[in-house]
This record gives sequence, structure tokens and C-alpha cells, in this order.
Amino acid sequence: MAHDADVLTANGIPAAEAERYGHNLPLIDGNKTYRQVTEEVFAPTERRPPLRWWLVLAVTLSMLSLGAWAVFQTLTRGIGTWGLNRTVGWAFDITNFVFWVGIGHAGTLISAILFLFRQRWRTSINRAAEAMTLFAVMCAGTFPIIHMGRPWLAFWATPYPNTRGSLWVNFKSPLLWDVVAISTYFIISLTFWYIGLIPDLATQRDRAKTKLKRTILNIFSLGWNGSNRTWSRYETVYMLLAGLSTPLVVSVHTIVSMDFATSVIPGWHATIFPPYFVAGAVFSGFAMVLTLMIIARSVMGLEEYITTRHLEAMTKVVLATGMIVGMAYATEFFTAWYSGNPYERYVFLNRALGPYQWAYWTMVGCNVLSPQFFWFKKVRTTPWMIFILTIFVNIGMWFERFVIIVTSLHRDYLPSSWATYRPTFIEVAILIGSFGLFFTLFLVFTRVLPMIAASEVKGVLKNVEH
Amino acid sequence: MSSTEHLHRSRFRASFADPEQLLRAVNHLRSAGHRVLDTYTPFPVHGMDEAMGLRPSRLPRACLAFAALGLALAAGLQIWTSAVDYPLIMGGKPLLAIPAFIPVAFELTVLLAGLGVVASFFLVARMRPRLRIPDLHPGANDNRFILAAELAADIQFPVVARELAGLGAVESGLLVEDRFQHSGSFWDRPAGVGALLVACLPALLLLLLVPLLNRDFQRRNLAWDGGMGAPFSAQAFDASGVLPGRKVLQAPPPDTLSRRGEPPLAFGPGKAEAERAGRELQNPYQPTQARFNRGKLVFERVCATCHGREGDNNGSVIVARGAFAPTVLVSPVVRDMPDGRIFHVATFGGPMKMKGYGDLLSREDRWQVVLYIRELQKAAKPAAVPAQATGAQP
Repeated sequence: MAHDADVLTANGIPAAEAERYGHNLPLIDGNKTYRQVTEEVFAPTERRPPLRWWLVLAVTLSMLSLGAWAVFQTLTRGIGTWGLNRTVGWAFDITNFVFWVGIGHAGTLISAILFLFRQRWRTSINRAAEAMTLFAVMCAGTFPIIHMGRPWLAFWATPYPNTRGSLWVNFKSPLLWDVVAISTYFIISLTFWYIGLIPDLATQRDRAKTKLKRTILNIFSLGWNGSNRTWSRYETVYMLLAGLSTPLVVSVHTIVSMDFATSVIPGWHATIFPPYFVAGAVFSGFAMVLTLMIIARSVMGLEEYITTRHLEAMTKVVLATGMIVGMAYATEFFTAWYSGNPYERYVFLNRALGPYQWAYWTMVGCNVLSPQFFWFKKVRTTPWMIFILTIFVNIGMWFERFVIIVTSLHRDYLPSSWATYRPTFIEVAILIGSFGLFFTLFLVFTRVLPMIAASEVKGVLKNVEH
Repeated sequence: MSSTEHLHRSRFRASFADPEQLLRAVNHLRSAGHRVLDTYTPFPVHGMDEAMGLRPSRLPRACLAFAALGLALAAGLQIWTSAVDYPLIMGGKPLLAIPAFIPVAFELTVLLAGLGVVASFFLVARMRPRLRIPDLHPGANDNRFILAAELAADIQFPVVARELAGLGAVESGLLVEDRFQHSGSFWDRPAGVGALLVACLPALLLLLLVPLLNRDFQRRNLAWDGGMGAPFSAQAFDASGVLPGRKVLQAPPPDTLSRRGEPPLAFGPGKAEAERAGRELQNPYQPTQARFNRGKLVFERVCATCHGREGDNNGSVIVARGAFAPTVLVSPVVRDMPDGRIFHVATFGGPMKMKGYGDLLSREDRWQVVLYIRELQKAAKPAAVPAQATGAQP
């Protein structure tokens, strides 16, 4: 019937198209009422955590303690406890820093960019993804601070009035840009997350049983009462913050990449770095969101909120950014060859065939090959398969940063200063500790605050486009 | 609502279970001449702003203003510190390196725009931390869609209540007098607090300027941590927790060349090489008083620890501890050795426990030590030579 295809849905898509691409499919399964959403979203914050939660918390706290011990060793005995040498002065710590910052980017992407693109499926996952951003940035921030050796003097990296003769930070240094970018990113992400949380804090406040909990929530919910005059302003502010966060998240990883790209080390000094790093960040971040969500939805019983439709949409992002990353790897090799620069050519040959080739091929296998399975709908909609593949992507993206940093440094212009690097147990322990910190914070978050933005989910229950 | 005296005379509320019904009710009430004060909903109901006749928020302007402020502050800070107050050339870049200032300027623009618009939002929406919050619209944060309105002059509430029930209202009633609205002190009025803060802003900014303009560079900094002013320095013979062998002093890497410009020695370690050195090497220095003094100095600082000051193992630290007896330098065996052989031992070490000092002593010093050992041997009394050492190899 020809005229059926001309019928438009509310958002201007032909009805037949909408049907085909699932635009009128419900975003939330199970035909829920508003009350049901409230009950189910807030239930984990109101009942005692089950035994397995405590067991997992014990594991993550142990990892965190191991990391704390390793940081203590580093600070009391010095950076000599790490495997760094004069040739490879950046290795595990900066790898971890870039890895964690990258993980964080998916949260902002989901909360800001998908919001601006009106991707309404983001509502079920944005709260947890933004929390993940905050925790990942916390993990990231610890590494440069520990690397300083005297972390209590970290404030020296800020431009504050002092009496040391006129003395200011160097605003021409990418490392200072990094300090400003990461701090801004953390503050704005925290603000964005908190703004999104206020309506749910009000719901939690209304349901609070104890006086203490109620008082705390009174303070943090800022007197929210659901007034439409406030909602109207709230939506404006939310939109503005999304608009600010979008270029911010791009700028942050661009600046992180400039830590490398503005140097003259072959293998780092490349203009492709900013887009390459941003794509890699989105790639790794979405993989981490998927890893966490697949565990969380089954442990917390939220399968009807975080449906396979959400998972499938995210795997498509992983597939697309994975191919961008693969393209960047190929482009780097082409540029090295085309530049005619023997140092640049050597670095890339050494990367693929030198002493760290195992790391390079692990990276290629995990980042370029493993996402290709997402071409199959069966894989995209089977949680355990997604879980395994995203673990591979996480490993691959960690190795990407390791490969970029260590292989470029360990053999640069002067063969007499060539060296190799291997991490010490202390460094590995700090990495384990950062995972411990990340998962501990996430576990606590799932029990203290609503993991799903209830007020946003209620808004898309009927999936009617206005 | 147990007591009627707290009920408002003309203001009422109605509660719905569905946002569409609320929207219809708001439209109906406004067309009937009632004044809709506000609606309270668990999520923003789209179309409600138009139904209530709200103007679009002016918060984007605040955002723009704060963004401009951030940009100006960032530009001012970077230009003043990098080009005026601390004009230090770094990396050969010009003092006023505008492209290098872009990243920080962008970040601070975003930071101030974001924080500024949120602060403005809290101010205009009267959102602030409170200890006590009356639940005036129960369910509005859960599953109820509530409106509050004021009756048109000539209409009684029961009439409206029937209409609202027809529109699907779950319940409706006159509003409780909002005793929290106007009874607050000054601190409960956000506009007042905001105005106070704004009024204080110039004074606060001036306070910030005081340390910048009134700097005394003669005064020492307050420092609670010595930091780099009082560094920990490792001594050569200290134990080290991290370096290989748990020693601070590390052996030079193999094949290390002296920095003193001496050409490489054409001999390697080992007994055959030692004998070849004995045949081929001559002491290039003649004994003088100055060389004797230098040889004595080096011998007593380096060699005497084990060999004794007289070369007879007397006072040897390792002999005293019963660890090991080194070759007696004043013994006939050593006396009969050619100079080149002793020099080889001093350089590469002996066949027993002695280490080579080729990397620690200059070649000239080693030859001078050989000269000094010859002097010791001339001065030594034969009685001082212990019997057990006579047949020992160096």
C-alpha cells in the first residue's frame, strides 16, 4: 500500500521506516508503570546488599589495598621502585593514565553527545556511565600525581600567587594543558552528573525511612519538588551542559594526545594523534560501559531497563570506533613510510617486529579483529559474547597506550641510549589497585544512589516522540 | 488538612496519574480563566511550558556571560603571567604565544560557563541545601502529575473539582496554606543571599589582588615540607633499598672507558694476560718524592684496608675479622714479580679474591702505587714476612 509509507511518525520519520528500525519499539521492556519504575530503580538503595555484593566488595577492596601498599612503597622508597630508566621515563603509569581517561570518555559521550543527538535509549545507561566517567577520571588522576614523587606538592602545577620571585606555571606546556583539561573535565562531569541526579535524589528523599538519610538527602536534593517552572530551567541547563561537555570531552583527549604529539619523539610526533586518541577513547569507554552494564544488569536484575536493544546500540558504536582505530593504525604506518624519515620508519617497523611485537600484535588482535564479530546480529544481542569481546577490547586498548608510549621511547634517535623496559611488581600492583578503586566506587555507587535515571526513564516509558 | 483554617481560600490542587491528562487539565483551566500556578511532575512533561505559557528560560544568556568571563580571565591570566610578570622564553616560543594559550583558554571558558550557568540556575530556581522540606505535593517525584492553580474570581471550587474529576483527576482539594513560603528569615531568601554575594564580589576580587600587587620577594616562603630545599642524598657507601646488590655505589657497566682520555689497555683479565703484562709493560714513571707521596696516599686509602699500611697484612681489616688473608705484598714472591704483573693485578684483580681497580684508579695512580709497593718492599724487615704467605699467588 503506497500511501502507508507516507505516514509520518511524530518525529518526522516515515512509519514504515520507523517500524523497520525499531523506532516504535519500547525502550523499556515489561510494560512498566511509573510506580514500578520507582520501586525497581530505588530498591537496591533501600535493602541490605546480598551476600555476593559483599563478596565482590571484599575482592575489590583487597585489590585496592594492594594498590595502596604499592603507592606507599613508591612514595616512601621513591620512583626507583618502578622499572623506569633514563630512556623509558614514561611507561606503566602514563599508560594507565591515558587508559583510564579514555574509559571515562564513554560516560560523557552517552550523557552529552547522545543527548544532543536525541538518542533516547541513553536514558537507561547514562547515570551509571557518568558515574563510571567520574571514577575513571579519579583513577586516571592518581597516576600523574604519584609519578610526581611528592604528591603533596601537586598544587605546584596550578597557577597560584606565590612569593618565589615572580614564578608561574608554563602555559605553553601540554602537560599544564593536561592538568587544566583533566581538572575541568572532572568538575564539569561531576556537575553534570549531580544535576542529572537531583530529581532522583528528591524521590529518594521522599522514600527515606531514617531521619539521618532524610536529612542528608534534604541537603543534596536542594528542595526539588518537581515544579514545572524548575523543570523548564532544568532542561535548559541540562542542554547547555551537554553542549559544553561535548567539545570538552573531545578537547580532553586531544590535549592528552598532545602530551605526546607536541614532542619530537618519532612515533609520537604525529598530527593524527588527536582524532586517533579520541576515537580510541570512545572505543575503550563503550567497551567498559558494556562490560560493567552486562554484569550490573544481571546482578541487579535490571534486564528490563538495560535491554539487548541498548547493548546492541552500544556494540555498533564499538564496531564503528574500532574500525576508526584500525584505520588509524594503518595510517600511521603509511605516514611513516611516506614521510621518508628513517627514524619514523624504524620506529614503526620496530613496533611491529621489535622486542615489543607481542604487545603490538596483542593490540591489533584485540582492537581490530575482535570487534569484527559485531557484524553478526547474533553476537550483538548475546550478552555473554559481548562481554567476552569487550574484555578483549579493554585489554587491547590498554596495550595500545603501552605500545605507543614504550615502543616509541625505548629506541629513539640515539642507539647508544636504547633500552628496554619491564614493569616491576609495584607498578603492576598500582594498576591492580586502580581497578580496585574503580570497582569499589562503582559497587558502592550501585547501593547508595539510583543506578538508573528514574526520572528520565519515566519520560521514555511510552516512547512517544513529542 | 485536618484543620480548615490552614486551607487556602482560592488556591487548589489536583492530582493525575497520567501526563496527558494533566496537560489537558491545564489547558482546560487556563481557557476557563483560572490561573495555573505551577505543575509538579516526576519528569518534564513536554508541551507543559507552552500550556502554562512559560517564556523560554534566559539561562543561556547567563551561560554566555560566564563563558565570556572565563575566556577573559584565561586570556588575562596567561598573557600577564607568561609575557609580563614572568617573561621567560621556553622552547624558543615567543612570550605571547597565542596558539599555545588556546587549550587552557578553552578549558577555563567551559569551566566557568558550566559552573556559572548551574549557579545561576540554583539562584533563579531557589534551589539550595535545606534541612527541612515539606512534602506539599506527595507523589510528584514518584507517579503523580499534580497541578496547583488559583480560582477565577466568580467560580467556586466544587464546580472545578467536578470538572477535574471528569478530566481524570485522582484527587483534588484546596491547597494547604504554604507557611514556609514567606515566613523565612533573610537567609531563607535566595535573592537576598545572592545579592549579598554579588555585592561582596568586588571586595573579594580586590582581596585576591592584594597578594599579587603587594609581593615581598625578600621574604622566605612558608614551607611545611622541606621538599627540594632539604633533599635526601644517598651516600656512596650507604645501603640502598632499591638499587641492585642493595648498595648505593654501583660497579660501572662492563667495557666502560675512562673519561680521562687514556687509550684502552691492550690487555685482558686472566693469568696468561698477567704474565704477558709482566713481560711487555714497563713502569713509565721514575720514582720522585711527589710520586712517592701520591702513591702512598692512594695505597693507604685504597690498598691498605686489606693489605695493611706496610703491605704486610698488619692491620688488615679482613685478616682481623678472620675472613681471608690477602697476598703479602712485601713477600719475596711479589718482590720478584715484574712491575707490569703487579700493575695488571691492580687493574684486573688477582686470581683469588681481589677485585680490579682499573675502573676506580687512574692508570697513573696504579703505576704510582706500584712504585710505592717497591719502596715498601725495600723498607720491609724479612722477619715481618709471615711464612704462610710466601708461596701465595698474587
